[in-house]
Amino acid sequence: MVTNVFVYNSSEAHMKFLQKHPVRLLKFALPKTADVVIIGGGIIGAACAYYLSAAGLSVHLVERHFPASGTSRACDGLILLWDKSGPELALGQESIRLWGQVEEHLEEDFGFERSGTILLAENGEQLQAGEKRAQALRESGQRAEILPAGRLATLEPEISPHLAGGILFPDDLQVDPRRATLALLAAAKRQGVKLQAESEVIDIQHAPGEGGGVRGVVTSQGVIATPRVVCAAGVWSNHIARMVGIDLPTRPRKGHILVTARRPGFIHHPLLEGGYVTTVESAHDARQVALVAEMTTSGKLLLGSSREFCGYDRTVSLSAIQELATRATRFLPGLESTPIIRSYAGLRPWSPDGLPLIGPTRVPGFYLATGHEGAGICLAPVTGRLVTQMITEEARRPEAEVVAPGRCL
Amino acid sequence: MTSTKTELAIIGAGPAGLSAALAAAQAGVSVTVLEEYPRPGGQYLRGVHHNQPLPPLTPAESLGRERLAQLAHPKITTHTGTMVWGLENHTLSLHGPDCPPKVEAKAIIIATGARERVLPFPGWTLPGVMTLGGAQILAKEHGLRPGKRVLIAGSGPLLLAVAAKLAQIPGTNVVGILEATRPGGWMAHAPALAGNTDRLREGWHYLQTFLKKKIPYRFGHGITQAGGEESLEGVKIARLNRQGEPLPGSEDYLKVDTLCLGFGFIPNTALTQVAGCELEYAPTRGGWVPKVNEHFETSQHSIYAAGETCSLDGASAALVKGEIAGLAVARSLGYLTVQDFQEKFLPLKRRLRPLRRFGAMLNTLFTPPVGLNTLIKDDTILCRCEEVTAGEVRAAIQGGATTLSDLKNWTRVGQGPCQGRTCGALLAQQIALETGQNPQDAGYFRSRPPVKPVPLESLA
Repeated sequence: MVTNVFVYNSSEAHMKFLQKHPVRLLKFALPKTADVVIIGGGIIGAACAYYLSAAGLSVHLVERHFPASGTSRACDGLILLWDKSGPELALGQESIRLWGQVEEHLEEDFGFERSGTILLAENGEQLQAGEKRAQALRESGQRAEILPAGRLATLEPEISPHLAGGILFPDDLQVDPRRATLALLAAAKRQGVKLQAESEVIDIQHAPGEGGGVRGVVTSQGVIATPRVVCAAGVWSNHIARMVGIDLPTRPRKGHILVTARRPGFIHHPLLEGGYVTTVESAHDARQVALVAEMTTSGKLLLGSSREFCGYDRTVSLSAIQELATRATRFLPGLESTPIIRSYAGLRPWSPDGLPLIGPTRVPGFYLATGHEGAGICLAPVTGRLVTQMITEEARRPEAEVVAPGRCL
Repeated sequence: MTSTKTELAIIGAGPAGLSAALAAAQAGVSVTVLEEYPRPGGQYLRGVHHNQPLPPLTPAESLGRERLAQLAHPKITTHTGTMVWGLENHTLSLHGPDCPPKVEAKAIIIATGARERVLPFPGWTLPGVMTLGGAQILAKEHGLRPGKRVLIAGSGPLLLAVAAKLAQIPGTNVVGILEATRPGGWMAHAPALAGNTDRLREGWHYLQTFLKKKIPYRFGHGITQAGGEESLEGVKIARLNRQGEPLPGSEDYLKVDTLCLGFGFIPNTALTQVAGCELEYAPTRGGWVPKVNEHFETSQHSIYAAGETCSLDGASAALVKGEIAGLAVARSLGYLTVQDFQEKFLPLKRRLRPLRRFGAMLNTLFTPPVGLNTLIKDDTILCRCEEVTAGEVRAAIQGGATTLSDLKNWTRVGQGPCQGRTCGALLAQQIALETGQNPQDAGYFRSRPPVKPVPLESLA
């Protein structure tokens, strides 16, 4: 039988695939090997590839479609600290520092801007809550400036006059997530990472029995022998983890974004309404909506944000984009006549306690890097570096404990 | 205005939409017609309101005019200047000066027609270079001449129709018609001519006009470059080989101020896409088109796609297709018995057959030759909205982009206001040329609401 040319043990799923695609057999004659195989070419996979290859490991990245074709192109590019607290804030601070390094190190332009963000308060209560956040952030060494209504109107003249004020967080950043993913991957490729796009993971080979480690990854373009897999497949990680018998608690949570025609200079900082944190922290199935407005480098505005659980359905829902539009006109009445040129929806990997799942699992060699939900762009560098440290260093880092997957598996 | 309900909503009041509306209304169905332009009639019947259409009328134009005059039927409500930007659960989202924000319908006929196919070459974005449709709007709607010295180029029968119309405008000198394809192989399609004497007579009439006005009609010729300081001043033309590549040494220079271009059409599938209708790739029908049954119902129950939207076969066929879809809706809503329906449907089906054969023949004969793509240089702009050049696109393809979705990710193509309507087919062709795969493997730009730009307040 032809499949005998193949040197690795083939699972049933693999055999079935090969029978369906005999032409692909040719590729299997040349086995590939890698120190680490990363599954997923989104921002998290790209950051992992970047840091792992910088540490001298040989890395293969397998992407089902094309880099940034999933969630990393269907999101906003805000890197926020004020929506975080405790251990997540520490991770965020570290990640922001790393983003700065990445910006300096990479030749590609990915829309990196130290734009700061403004939290908008519609009433005194929200302003007070914002001031509390500002205080907490200052204690952690971040800057925050309270903006009374008058000062807010000077900074952002297009904002509705009904607002009570806002808080400026000057340390927050902005990137173009799609281009940032591509830039990290390009740098990773220069460091020797092999990118295998349009390639589906069919199975993960692991030694039989309890405690059996990872041996290889079976893809639609051949098998890669490897002792380590980093699963960075975002909301599709559940499917991958099941291949090694792990059930993830993460769930896809859908978010919509509207894109306006060009309005360069309409706003000067990314804007988020005070209620944003409530929607992030809520685990309700019903749709949560809060304004997020961001200016892109091409002068178009991105208007978000919504969060809802509806399985793996990525279609744009009319009611969602209508809610976003209503929200946007409430805060930015001057946008009323601006055309909306398109919309999109992305699925973000929600985790039960709002923290990502980063690190080893009970299957030796199978690492997770998922569950970031809306913080994926922000936490990508720190995730990549944590994963690298876990793989290259024996000792466990204390800061990695809070995101250790064991807590919810 | 609040949301309304209707039995049948028809999107587009061109030949297909008009025919569907009348067929359904005459059977007793309440119909709401939604037309994006200020007047019904579509591109084909444009300008007949001015009562100064450029004569003579083709049989399809006469029939279309008749149907347009009957649009005031008591069972038909028409909203013009109304854009349908979303479709979900049999509810249409609208934008316009005096329309309800939503219309819920038991059945929907999507008759959104087709848009023009363009093929870029150096200088194609200069003012003075326009599409055949653009020239038609000027001539039919406004009675204006697009320019003094006009050259018509591209491929397909529309070149003739537009040239003939423009030639009648005083002060317009149509200096020539350049057809990129060659007449070789036409005889193989002779059987498709049967039953299409109207279309042949129309063609004959055009040729006579050109003879009388001494307008040269040249096959196997195309534009290689357009030039001018601020607007078009002249073009380089060349003889093309069978593959469409310009023949070295055959170049000539023509002084013109206007260049009207057209390479056939691309069906508008955006609304069928957001309605969840399945598409299929059918080159003889115009590329990506919704799958339909013989009553033009799509894969979505009681959503129909009639006219050029589902297959490019010309206005005569669109009139019949619309009528069939309108009758099918009347039957499904119980206004026609199965027997009544069959009595009306079968003769229409018979009439449609030769028309569609003729349409498929034209789509095959006038497929823009692939070699025309050699005119696209690395600095030629492909995506006009985002100003992405062919060089950037080719680099992305070499970097591994194999679908339109990949390209959109890698460059910015298709992210602008037109959402890839203009560049989608072009980019698919580029991928096919660079990778050797079929154009359909590149897929198509997925449409999402709003399918066209809509002011924020209309969404809210």
